[in-house]
Amino acid sequence: MKILPPKIWRNKETQYSLTATQCQSCGAYTFPPRHVCNKCGSFKVTKKKLSGKGTLITFTYTHQVRTGFERDAPIYFGLIRLDEGIEIVAPLVDVDEEPKEGARVEAVFRKLRVDSHNGLIEYGTKFRLIDNEQRN
Amino acid sequence: MSEVFVTGASILKVDRYYENNIIDLAIGAISGLAEEISIVHPDILILANAYSESTTEQVLLSEKIASSLGLRVPAIRTEQGDASGGSAIFTAYSFLKSGIAKSVLIVGAEKLSDFPTNHLNDILAENLDEEYSYRIGMTQSSYAALQMKLYMKTYGVGYDYFAEWPYQMHKNASENHYAYLKFQVDKDTIMKSQIISDPIRLFDTAARADGAAAILLTNGELARKFSESKVKVENVYGSSFGYSMRELVAVREAWLPWRDFKPNFIEIHDSYSVIAAMILDEIGFERGKSLYNIADSQVNLSGGLKARGYPGGATGVYQLAEAYMQLTGTFKGKRAKNAERGAVVSTDDLGKVAYTIGLSR
Ligand SMILES: [Zn+2]
Repeated sequence: MKILPPKIWRNKETQYSLTATQCQSCGAYTFPPRHVCNKCGSFKVTKKKLSGKGTLITFTYTHQVRTGFERDAPIYFGLIRLDEGIEIVAPLVDVDEEPKEGARVEAVFRKLRVDSHNGLIEYGTKFRLIDNEQRN
Repeated sequence: MSEVFVTGASILKVDRYYENNIIDLAIGAISGLAEEISIVHPDILILANAYSESTTEQVLLSEKIASSLGLRVPAIRTEQGDASGGSAIFTAYSFLKSGIAKSVLIVGAEKLSDFPTNHLNDILAENLDEEYSYRIGMTQSSYAALQMKLYMKTYGVGYDYFAEWPYQMHKNASENHYAYLKFQVDKDTIMKSQIISDPIRLFDTAARADGAAAILLTNGELARKFSESKVKVENVYGSSFGYSMRELVAVREAWLPWRDFKPNFIEIHDSYSVIAAMILDEIGFERGKSLYNIADSQVNLSGGLKARGYPGGATGVYQLAEAYMQLTGTFKGKRAKNAERGAVVSTDDLGKVAYTIGLSR
Protein backbone atom coordinates (compact mmCIF):
# COMPACT_ATOMS: atom_id res chain seq x y z
CA MET A 1 0.00 0.00 0.00
CA LYS A 2 1.34 3.40 -0.96
CA ILE A 3 0.35 6.55 0.89
CA LEU A 4 1.75 9.61 -0.85
CA PRO A 5 1.67 13.08 0.78
CA PRO A 6 0.55 14.97 -2.38
CA LYS A 7 -2.48 12.73 -2.69
CA ILE A 8 -3.44 13.24 0.94
CA TRP A 9 -2.83 16.98 0.70
CA ARG A 10 -5.08 17.62 -2.31
CA ASN A 11 -7.76 15.47 -0.71
CA LYS A 12 -7.82 17.25 2.63
CA GLU A 13 -11.17 19.01 2.25
CA THR A 14 -12.93 15.80 1.24
CA GLN A 15 -11.54 13.62 3.99
CA TYR A 16 -10.89 16.11 6.81
CA SER A 17 -13.98 18.30 6.61
CA LEU A 18 -16.43 16.33 4.46
CA THR A 19 -16.67 19.03 1.79
CA ALA A 20 -19.06 18.62 -1.14
CA THR A 21 -19.97 20.86 -4.05
CA GLN A 22 -23.44 22.31 -4.41
CA CYS A 23 -24.92 23.25 -7.77
CA GLN A 24 -26.04 26.88 -8.12
CA SER A 25 -28.51 25.94 -10.85
CA CYS A 26 -30.35 22.92 -9.42
CA GLY A 27 -29.18 22.78 -5.82
CA ALA A 28 -27.91 19.18 -5.98
CA TYR A 29 -24.89 18.14 -3.96
CA THR A 30 -21.96 16.21 -5.40
CA PHE A 31 -19.71 14.20 -3.10
CA PRO A 32 -16.80 13.70 -3.43
CA PRO A 33 -16.74 17.30 -4.72
CA ARG A 34 -16.37 17.98 -8.43
CA HIS A 35 -16.28 21.26 -10.35
CA VAL A 36 -19.43 20.18 -12.15
CA CYS A 37 -22.91 19.07 -11.09
CA ASN A 38 -23.54 15.37 -11.73
CA LYS A 39 -27.32 15.97 -11.91
CA CYS A 40 -27.67 18.80 -14.44
CA GLY A 41 -24.14 19.26 -15.81
CA SER A 42 -23.79 22.86 -14.69
CA PHE A 43 -20.24 24.06 -14.00
CA LYS A 44 -21.57 26.70 -11.59
CA VAL A 45 -20.95 24.96 -8.30
CA THR A 46 -19.73 26.13 -4.92
CA LYS A 47 -17.93 24.23 -2.19
CA LYS A 48 -19.97 23.46 0.86
CA LYS A 49 -18.90 21.86 4.11
CA LEU A 50 -21.38 19.15 5.06
CA SER A 51 -22.76 19.03 8.60
CA GLY A 52 -21.55 15.49 9.19
CA LYS A 53 -24.86 14.69 10.88
CA GLY A 54 -27.24 12.17 9.48
CA THR A 55 -29.39 9.08 9.76
CA LEU A 56 -28.37 5.49 9.22
CA ILE A 57 -30.43 3.97 6.40
CA THR A 58 -28.88 0.53 6.50
CA PHE A 59 -25.51 -1.12 7.12
CA THR A 60 -23.37 -4.17 6.40
CA TYR A 61 -20.82 -6.03 8.49
CA THR A 62 -17.84 -6.74 6.24
CA HIS A 63 -15.67 -9.73 7.15
CA GLN A 64 -13.61 -9.98 3.99
CA VAL A 65 -11.65 -6.73 3.76
CA ARG A 66 -8.81 -5.23 1.73
CA THR A 67 -5.06 -5.37 2.23
CA GLY A 68 -4.18 -2.69 4.78
CA PHE A 69 -7.52 -2.88 6.60
CA GLU A 70 -7.10 -6.30 8.24
CA ARG A 71 -6.64 -4.80 11.71
CA ASP A 72 -10.03 -3.10 11.49
CA ALA A 73 -11.88 -6.25 10.38
CA PRO A 74 -14.70 -6.98 10.56
CA ILE A 75 -15.85 -3.47 9.57
CA TYR A 76 -19.33 -1.96 9.72
CA PHE A 77 -20.16 0.16 6.67
CA GLY A 78 -23.27 2.31 6.87
CA LEU A 79 -25.41 3.90 4.18
CA ILE A 80 -26.09 7.32 5.68
CA ARG A 81 -28.52 10.04 4.67
CA LEU A 82 -26.88 13.29 5.70
CA ASP A 83 -29.12 16.09 6.94
CA GLU A 84 -28.39 17.94 3.67
CA GLY A 85 -30.29 15.12 1.92
CA ILE A 86 -27.43 13.31 0.21
CA GLU A 87 -26.48 9.70 0.82
CA ILE A 88 -22.95 8.54 1.51
CA VAL A 89 -21.37 5.27 2.58
CA ALA A 90 -18.95 5.38 5.50
CA PRO A 91 -17.28 3.11 8.05
CA LEU A 92 -19.01 3.07 11.45
CA VAL A 93 -16.78 3.14 14.54
CA ASP A 94 -17.21 2.65 18.29
CA VAL A 95 -20.08 0.27 17.65
CA ASP A 96 -20.95 -1.47 20.92
CA GLU A 97 -24.20 -3.05 19.88
CA GLU A 98 -25.74 -3.97 16.52
CA PRO A 99 -26.59 -0.67 14.74
CA LYS A 100 -30.28 0.02 14.13
CA GLU A 101 -31.76 1.42 10.95
CA GLY A 102 -32.83 4.97 11.63
CA ALA A 103 -30.13 5.65 14.24
CA ARG A 104 -28.62 9.15 14.30
CA VAL A 105 -24.94 9.31 13.36
CA GLU A 106 -22.19 11.93 13.24
CA ALA A 107 -18.84 12.27 11.50
CA VAL A 108 -15.62 11.79 13.45
CA PHE A 109 -11.97 12.19 12.47
CA ARG A 110 -10.08 8.90 12.57
CA LYS A 111 -7.09 6.97 11.28
CA LEU A 112 -7.88 5.30 7.94
CA ARG A 113 -4.74 3.31 7.17
CA VAL A 114 -0.99 3.10 7.63
CA ASP A 115 1.57 2.67 4.87
CA SER A 116 3.30 -0.66 5.52
CA HIS A 117 6.58 0.62 4.01
CA ASN A 118 7.13 4.18 5.17
CA GLY A 119 4.79 4.31 8.19
CA LEU A 120 2.81 7.32 6.93
CA ILE A 121 -0.70 7.48 8.38
CA GLU A 122 -3.74 8.61 6.44
CA TYR A 123 -6.61 10.17 8.39
CA GLY A 124 -10.17 10.72 7.32
CA THR A 125 -13.84 10.62 8.13
CA LYS A 126 -15.75 7.79 9.80
CA PHE A 127 -19.11 7.92 11.57
CA ARG A 128 -20.29 6.99 15.03
CA LEU A 129 -23.75 6.34 16.42
CA ILE A 130 -25.10 9.21 18.55
CA ASP A 131 -28.19 7.36 19.61
CA ASN A 132 -28.91 3.87 18.41
CA GLU A 133 -32.69 3.86 18.14
CA GLN A 134 -34.73 2.29 15.42
CA ARG A 135 -36.78 4.74 13.37
CA ASN A 136 -38.56 3.94 10.18
CA MET B 1 -23.74 0.94 -43.94
CA SER B 2 -22.08 -2.39 -43.52
CA GLU B 3 -23.64 -5.20 -41.54
CA VAL B 4 -21.57 -6.86 -38.80
CA PHE B 5 -21.20 -10.59 -38.22
CA VAL B 6 -19.53 -12.83 -35.69
CA THR B 7 -17.32 -15.02 -37.85
CA GLY B 8 -15.65 -17.06 -35.16
CA ALA B 9 -15.25 -17.39 -31.40
CA SER B 10 -12.83 -19.21 -29.13
CA ILE B 11 -12.69 -19.46 -25.35
CA LEU B 12 -10.39 -20.98 -22.76
CA LYS B 13 -11.80 -22.67 -19.69
CA VAL B 14 -11.94 -20.13 -16.87
CA ASP B 15 -9.38 -21.44 -14.40
CA ARG B 16 -6.20 -20.82 -12.42
CA TYR B 17 -3.32 -20.77 -14.89
CA TYR B 18 -0.21 -20.62 -12.74
CA GLU B 19 1.99 -21.65 -15.66
CA ASN B 20 0.76 -18.96 -18.04
CA ASN B 21 0.93 -15.18 -18.16
CA ILE B 22 -1.66 -12.88 -19.67
CA ILE B 23 -0.12 -12.89 -23.16
CA ASP B 24 0.00 -16.71 -23.11
CA LEU B 25 -3.72 -16.76 -22.34
CA ALA B 26 -4.58 -14.22 -25.02
CA ILE B 27 -2.59 -16.14 -27.65
CA GLY B 28 -4.14 -19.38 -26.42
CA ALA B 29 -7.64 -18.03 -27.05
CA ILE B 30 -6.68 -16.53 -30.43
CA SER B 31 -5.11 -19.82 -31.55
CA GLY B 32 -8.63 -21.25 -31.58
CA LEU B 33 -9.30 -18.86 -34.48
CA ALA B 34 -6.17 -19.80 -36.43
CA GLU B 35 -8.10 -20.89 -39.49
CA GLU B 36 -10.35 -17.83 -39.55
CA ILE B 37 -7.53 -15.30 -39.21
CA SER B 38 -5.49 -17.07 -41.88
CA ILE B 39 -8.37 -16.41 -44.29
CA VAL B 40 -9.43 -13.01 -42.95
CA HIS B 41 -6.51 -10.90 -41.85
CA PRO B 42 -7.74 -8.66 -38.99
CA ASP B 43 -7.56 -4.93 -39.72
CA ILE B 44 -7.60 -3.99 -36.04
CA LEU B 45 -6.94 -5.83 -32.77
CA ILE B 46 -8.79 -4.82 -29.62
CA LEU B 47 -7.82 -6.08 -26.19
CA ALA B 48 -10.46 -6.07 -23.45
CA ASN B 49 -8.71 -5.98 -20.10
CA ALA B 50 -9.45 -4.13 -16.89
CA TYR B 51 -6.75 -4.67 -14.33
CA SER B 52 -3.40 -5.34 -16.05
CA GLU B 53 -1.59 -2.36 -14.47
CA SER B 54 -2.23 -3.82 -11.04
CA THR B 55 -2.27 -7.55 -11.77
CA THR B 56 0.68 -7.90 -14.15
CA GLU B 57 2.42 -4.50 -13.93
CA GLN B 58 1.86 -4.19 -17.65
CA VAL B 59 0.63 -1.62 -20.14
CA LEU B 60 0.91 -1.62 -23.94
CA LEU B 61 -0.38 -5.19 -23.89
CA SER B 62 -2.43 -4.83 -27.07
CA GLU B 63 0.76 -4.05 -29.03
CA LYS B 64 2.55 -6.97 -27.38
CA ILE B 65 -0.23 -9.35 -28.40
CA ALA B 66 -0.47 -7.96 -31.95
CA SER B 67 3.27 -8.09 -32.55
CA SER B 68 3.45 -11.61 -31.10
CA LEU B 69 0.96 -12.57 -33.79
CA GLY B 70 2.88 -10.68 -36.46
CA LEU B 71 -0.08 -8.36 -36.96
CA ARG B 72 1.14 -4.92 -38.05
CA VAL B 73 -2.20 -3.28 -37.46
CA PRO B 74 -3.63 -0.76 -35.01
CA ALA B 75 -3.92 -2.51 -31.65
CA ILE B 76 -5.86 -0.84 -28.86
CA ARG B 77 -7.06 -1.74 -25.39
CA THR B 78 -10.43 -0.85 -23.92
CA GLU B 79 -10.78 -0.49 -20.16
CA GLN B 80 -14.07 0.02 -18.36
CA GLY B 81 -13.63 -2.23 -15.38
CA ASP B 82 -15.57 -5.44 -15.81
CA ALA B 83 -17.41 -3.85 -18.75
CA SER B 84 -14.15 -3.73 -20.73
CA GLY B 85 -15.45 -6.63 -22.83
CA GLY B 86 -18.66 -4.81 -23.68
CA SER B 87 -16.76 -1.64 -24.53
CA ALA B 88 -14.41 -3.63 -26.81
CA ILE B 89 -17.41 -5.04 -28.66
CA PHE B 90 -18.96 -1.57 -28.94
CA THR B 91 -15.66 -0.23 -30.35
CA ALA B 92 -15.24 -3.10 -32.82
CA TYR B 93 -18.84 -2.78 -33.96
CA SER B 94 -18.35 0.96 -34.58
CA PHE B 95 -15.20 0.37 -36.67
CA LEU B 96 -17.01 -2.19 -38.82
CA LYS B 97 -20.21 -0.22 -39.16
CA SER B 98 -18.31 2.87 -40.27
CA GLY B 99 -16.22 0.94 -42.79
CA ILE B 100 -12.95 1.88 -41.10
CA ALA B 101 -12.27 -1.85 -40.72
CA LYS B 102 -13.56 -4.93 -42.51
CA SER B 103 -12.51 -7.29 -39.75
CA VAL B 104 -11.69 -6.79 -36.08
CA LEU B 105 -10.12 -9.34 -33.76
CA ILE B 106 -11.31 -8.88 -30.16
CA VAL B 107 -9.46 -10.65 -27.39
CA GLY B 108 -10.43 -10.46 -23.72
CA ALA B 109 -7.79 -11.53 -21.21
CA GLU B 110 -7.44 -11.22 -17.45
CA LYS B 111 -5.32 -12.74 -14.67
CA LEU B 112 -6.98 -12.61 -11.24
CA SER B 113 -5.85 -15.82 -9.56
CA ASP B 114 -2.27 -14.88 -8.64
CA PHE B 115 -3.36 -12.95 -5.54
CA PRO B 116 -4.62 -13.58 -2.02
CA THR B 117 -8.25 -12.49 -1.56
CA ASN B 118 -7.60 -9.25 0.33
CA HIS B 119 -5.08 -8.07 -2.23
CA LEU B 120 -7.48 -8.80 -5.07
CA ASN B 121 -10.20 -6.94 -3.15
CA ASP B 122 -7.83 -3.96 -3.13
CA ILE B 123 -7.32 -4.16 -6.90
CA LEU B 124 -11.05 -4.46 -7.59
CA ALA B 125 -11.67 -1.47 -5.29
CA GLU B 126 -9.94 0.64 -7.95
CA ASN B 127 -13.43 0.70 -9.46
CA LEU B 128 -14.47 3.04 -6.62
CA ASP B 129 -13.91 6.80 -6.60
CA GLU B 130 -10.33 7.53 -5.60
CA GLU B 131 -10.65 10.38 -3.13
CA TYR B 132 -13.30 9.03 -0.81
CA SER B 133 -14.69 5.51 -1.27
CA TYR B 134 -11.36 3.86 -2.06
CA ARG B 135 -9.63 5.54 0.87
CA ILE B 136 -12.18 4.63 3.52
CA GLY B 137 -11.58 0.94 2.79
CA MET B 138 -14.80 0.11 0.96
CA THR B 139 -14.98 -3.14 -0.92
CA GLN B 140 -17.20 -3.97 -3.87
CA SER B 141 -18.95 -6.62 -1.77
CA SER B 142 -19.73 -4.07 1.00
CA TYR B 143 -21.40 -1.91 -1.58
CA ALA B 144 -23.37 -4.83 -3.04
CA ALA B 145 -24.35 -5.87 0.51
CA LEU B 146 -25.96 -2.46 1.08
CA GLN B 147 -27.80 -2.78 -2.23
CA MET B 148 -28.96 -6.25 -1.18
CA LYS B 149 -30.35 -5.00 2.15
CA LEU B 150 -32.26 -2.22 0.41
CA TYR B 151 -33.59 -4.72 -2.14
CA MET B 152 -34.76 -7.08 0.61
CA LYS B 153 -36.59 -4.25 2.31
CA THR B 154 -38.12 -2.80 -0.86
CA TYR B 155 -39.50 -6.11 -2.12
CA GLY B 156 -39.98 -7.92 1.17
CA VAL B 157 -37.77 -10.84 0.18
CA GLY B 158 -35.45 -12.89 2.40
CA TYR B 159 -32.06 -14.43 1.78
CA ASP B 160 -33.66 -17.54 0.28
CA TYR B 161 -34.75 -15.40 -2.69
CA PHE B 162 -31.12 -14.67 -3.61
CA ALA B 163 -30.09 -18.32 -3.12
CA GLU B 164 -32.07 -19.10 -6.28
CA TRP B 165 -29.32 -17.50 -8.31
CA PRO B 166 -26.22 -19.53 -7.30
CA TYR B 167 -28.39 -22.65 -7.24
CA GLN B 168 -29.36 -22.22 -10.91
CA MET B 169 -25.93 -20.95 -12.02
CA HIS B 170 -24.15 -23.99 -10.62
CA LYS B 171 -26.73 -26.21 -12.21
CA ASN B 172 -26.04 -24.58 -15.59
CA ALA B 173 -22.27 -24.62 -15.14
CA SER B 174 -22.24 -28.31 -14.26
CA GLU B 175 -22.87 -28.93 -17.97
CA ASN B 176 -20.46 -26.27 -19.28
CA HIS B 177 -17.19 -27.68 -20.59
CA TYR B 178 -15.49 -24.29 -20.02
CA ALA B 179 -16.79 -23.63 -16.49
CA TYR B 180 -14.48 -22.96 -13.55
CA LEU B 181 -16.87 -24.32 -10.88
CA LYS B 182 -18.38 -27.24 -12.73
CA PHE B 183 -20.53 -28.65 -9.93
CA GLN B 184 -24.04 -28.39 -8.58
CA VAL B 185 -24.77 -27.06 -5.12
CA ASP B 186 -27.84 -27.38 -2.89
CA LYS B 187 -29.61 -24.41 -1.35
CA ASP B 188 -28.67 -25.38 2.18
CA THR B 189 -24.95 -25.18 1.32
CA ILE B 190 -25.51 -21.78 -0.30
CA MET B 191 -27.42 -20.42 2.68
CA LYS B 192 -24.82 -21.63 5.18
CA SER B 193 -21.75 -20.53 3.21
CA GLN B 194 -19.18 -18.09 4.64
CA ILE B 195 -20.35 -14.51 5.19
CA ILE B 196 -18.31 -12.08 3.09
CA SER B 197 -20.17 -8.85 3.86
CA ASP B 198 -23.45 -9.51 5.60
CA PRO B 199 -25.89 -10.48 4.02
CA ILE B 200 -23.63 -11.42 1.09
CA ARG B 201 -22.25 -14.93 1.40
CA LEU B 202 -19.54 -16.71 -0.55
CA PHE B 203 -22.03 -18.22 -2.99
CA ASP B 204 -23.40 -14.77 -3.82
CA THR B 205 -20.03 -13.67 -5.18
CA ALA B 206 -18.31 -14.23 -8.52
CA ALA B 207 -15.67 -16.94 -8.87
CA ARG B 208 -12.55 -14.90 -9.65
CA ALA B 209 -10.08 -16.60 -11.93
CA ASP B 210 -8.01 -16.29 -15.12
CA GLY B 211 -9.36 -16.47 -18.62
CA ALA B 212 -9.20 -15.39 -22.21
CA ALA B 213 -11.64 -15.40 -25.10
CA ALA B 214 -11.35 -14.26 -28.70
CA ILE B 215 -13.88 -13.23 -31.33
CA LEU B 216 -13.53 -12.33 -34.98
CA LEU B 217 -16.06 -9.75 -36.16
CA THR B 218 -16.29 -8.99 -39.87
CA ASN B 219 -18.43 -7.15 -42.37
CA GLY B 220 -20.91 -9.07 -44.55
CA GLU B 221 -18.56 -9.47 -47.51
CA LEU B 222 -15.90 -11.27 -45.46
CA ALA B 223 -18.47 -13.25 -43.47
CA ARG B 224 -19.56 -14.88 -46.75
CA LYS B 225 -16.12 -16.53 -47.04
CA PHE B 226 -17.15 -18.86 -44.24
CA SER B 227 -19.65 -21.60 -44.75
CA GLU B 228 -20.91 -21.81 -41.17
CA SER B 229 -24.29 -20.33 -40.35
CA LYS B 230 -23.98 -16.59 -39.94
CA VAL B 231 -24.57 -14.76 -36.70
CA LYS B 232 -25.42 -11.10 -37.12
CA VAL B 233 -24.69 -8.41 -34.55
CA GLU B 234 -27.96 -6.48 -34.61
CA ASN B 235 -26.61 -3.55 -32.65
CA VAL B 236 -24.59 -2.52 -29.58
CA TYR B 237 -25.77 0.13 -27.12
CA GLY B 238 -24.12 1.60 -24.07
CA SER B 239 -24.80 3.93 -21.15
CA SER B 240 -23.03 5.35 -18.08
CA PHE B 241 -24.75 6.57 -14.97
CA GLY B 242 -22.76 6.35 -11.73
CA TYR B 243 -23.53 4.80 -8.39
CA SER B 244 -27.09 4.14 -7.57
CA MET B 245 -28.12 2.08 -4.60
CA ARG B 246 -31.65 1.14 -5.62
CA GLU B 247 -31.62 0.81 -9.40
CA LEU B 248 -29.25 0.32 -12.32
CA VAL B 249 -30.04 3.23 -14.57
CA ALA B 250 -27.23 2.52 -17.06
CA VAL B 251 -28.54 -1.02 -17.59
CA ARG B 252 -32.09 0.24 -18.04
CA GLU B 253 -31.06 2.84 -20.61
CA ALA B 254 -28.76 0.51 -22.55
CA TRP B 255 -31.59 -2.05 -22.66
CA LEU B 256 -34.31 0.35 -23.81
CA PRO B 257 -33.68 -0.11 -27.57
CA TRP B 258 -34.09 -3.90 -27.14
CA ARG B 259 -37.47 -3.87 -25.45
CA ASP B 260 -39.17 -5.50 -28.48
CA PHE B 261 -36.25 -7.77 -29.39
CA LYS B 262 -37.39 -10.72 -27.25
CA PRO B 263 -34.18 -12.75 -27.09
CA ASN B 264 -34.54 -16.52 -26.55
CA PHE B 265 -31.60 -16.46 -24.15
CA ILE B 266 -29.45 -13.87 -22.42
CA GLU B 267 -26.09 -13.60 -20.68
CA ILE B 268 -25.79 -11.03 -17.86
CA HIS B 269 -22.93 -9.86 -15.60
CA ASP B 270 -23.85 -11.43 -12.26
CA SER B 271 -21.03 -10.13 -10.07
CA TYR B 272 -23.31 -10.66 -7.03
CA SER B 273 -26.69 -12.38 -6.69
CA VAL B 274 -28.26 -8.99 -5.95
CA ILE B 275 -26.70 -7.44 -9.06
CA ALA B 276 -28.16 -10.30 -11.12
CA ALA B 277 -31.59 -9.53 -9.66
CA MET B 278 -31.19 -5.78 -10.26
CA ILE B 279 -30.09 -6.29 -13.88
CA LEU B 280 -33.02 -8.63 -14.60
CA ASP B 281 -35.39 -6.15 -12.95
CA GLU B 282 -34.12 -3.46 -15.36
CA ILE B 283 -34.48 -5.55 -18.52
CA GLY B 284 -38.13 -6.40 -18.21
CA PHE B 285 -38.41 -9.16 -15.61
CA GLU B 286 -40.95 -8.66 -12.86
CA ARG B 287 -39.35 -6.40 -10.25
CA GLY B 288 -38.58 -8.11 -6.99
CA LYS B 289 -39.45 -11.50 -8.47
CA SER B 290 -36.94 -11.86 -11.30
CA LEU B 291 -34.87 -14.56 -9.60
CA TYR B 292 -37.88 -16.86 -9.30
CA ASN B 293 -38.11 -17.24 -13.08
CA ILE B 294 -34.55 -17.87 -14.15
CA ALA B 295 -34.80 -21.61 -14.79
CA ASP B 296 -37.41 -21.07 -17.54
CA SER B 297 -36.07 -17.88 -19.04
CA GLN B 298 -32.68 -19.18 -20.24
CA VAL B 299 -30.55 -16.66 -18.39
CA ASN B 300 -26.81 -17.39 -18.15
CA LEU B 301 -26.81 -20.93 -19.52
CA SER B 302 -23.02 -20.69 -19.12
CA GLY B 303 -23.35 -20.57 -15.34
CA GLY B 304 -22.44 -16.89 -15.24
CA LEU B 305 -19.70 -15.22 -13.23
CA LYS B 306 -20.93 -17.26 -10.31
CA ALA B 307 -19.94 -20.64 -11.73
CA ARG B 308 -18.61 -20.39 -15.28
CA GLY B 309 -16.23 -18.04 -13.53
CA TYR B 310 -15.27 -14.38 -13.50
CA PRO B 311 -12.31 -13.36 -15.69
CA GLY B 312 -12.56 -9.58 -14.96
CA GLY B 313 -12.61 -7.37 -18.05
CA ALA B 314 -12.59 -10.41 -20.38
CA THR B 315 -16.06 -11.42 -19.22
CA GLY B 316 -18.02 -9.57 -21.91
CA VAL B 317 -15.99 -11.32 -24.62
CA TYR B 318 -16.85 -14.68 -23.04
CA GLN B 319 -20.51 -13.72 -23.00
CA LEU B 320 -20.52 -12.82 -26.69
CA ALA B 321 -18.58 -15.99 -27.59
CA GLU B 322 -21.06 -18.11 -25.62
CA ALA B 323 -24.02 -16.43 -27.29
CA TYR B 324 -22.44 -17.06 -30.71
CA MET B 325 -21.93 -20.72 -29.83
CA GLN B 326 -25.56 -20.99 -28.72
CA LEU B 327 -26.75 -19.57 -32.03
CA THR B 328 -24.50 -21.86 -34.08
CA GLY B 329 -25.33 -24.91 -31.96
CA THR B 330 -21.70 -25.39 -30.95
CA PHE B 331 -21.87 -24.49 -27.24
CA LYS B 332 -20.38 -27.28 -25.14
CA GLY B 333 -22.90 -27.05 -22.35
CA LYS B 334 -26.57 -26.46 -21.72
CA ARG B 335 -28.11 -25.42 -25.06
CA ALA B 336 -30.73 -22.73 -25.49
CA LYS B 337 -34.05 -23.90 -26.87
CA ASN B 338 -35.26 -22.14 -30.05
CA ALA B 339 -32.01 -20.20 -30.28
CA GLU B 340 -32.79 -17.57 -32.89
CA ARG B 341 -31.95 -14.40 -30.98
CA GLY B 342 -29.60 -13.85 -28.05
CA ALA B 343 -28.59 -10.86 -25.95
CA VAL B 344 -25.61 -9.95 -23.81
CA VAL B 345 -25.54 -7.40 -20.98
CA SER B 346 -21.94 -6.45 -20.13
CA THR B 347 -21.52 -4.22 -17.07
CA ASP B 348 -18.94 -3.29 -14.47
CA ASP B 349 -19.35 -5.18 -11.21
CA LEU B 350 -21.77 -2.67 -9.65
CA GLY B 351 -23.73 -1.81 -12.79
CA LYS B 352 -22.55 1.79 -13.30
CA VAL B 353 -21.92 1.28 -17.00
CA ALA B 354 -23.65 -1.11 -19.34
CA TYR B 355 -23.30 -2.37 -22.90
CA THR B 356 -26.05 -4.41 -24.52
CA ILE B 357 -25.50 -6.54 -27.58
CA GLY B 358 -28.19 -8.26 -29.64
CA LEU B 359 -27.42 -11.21 -31.93
CA SER B 360 -29.53 -13.13 -34.40
CA ARG B 361 -29.04 -15.93 -36.89
ZN1 LIG C 1 -27.16 20.92 -11.01
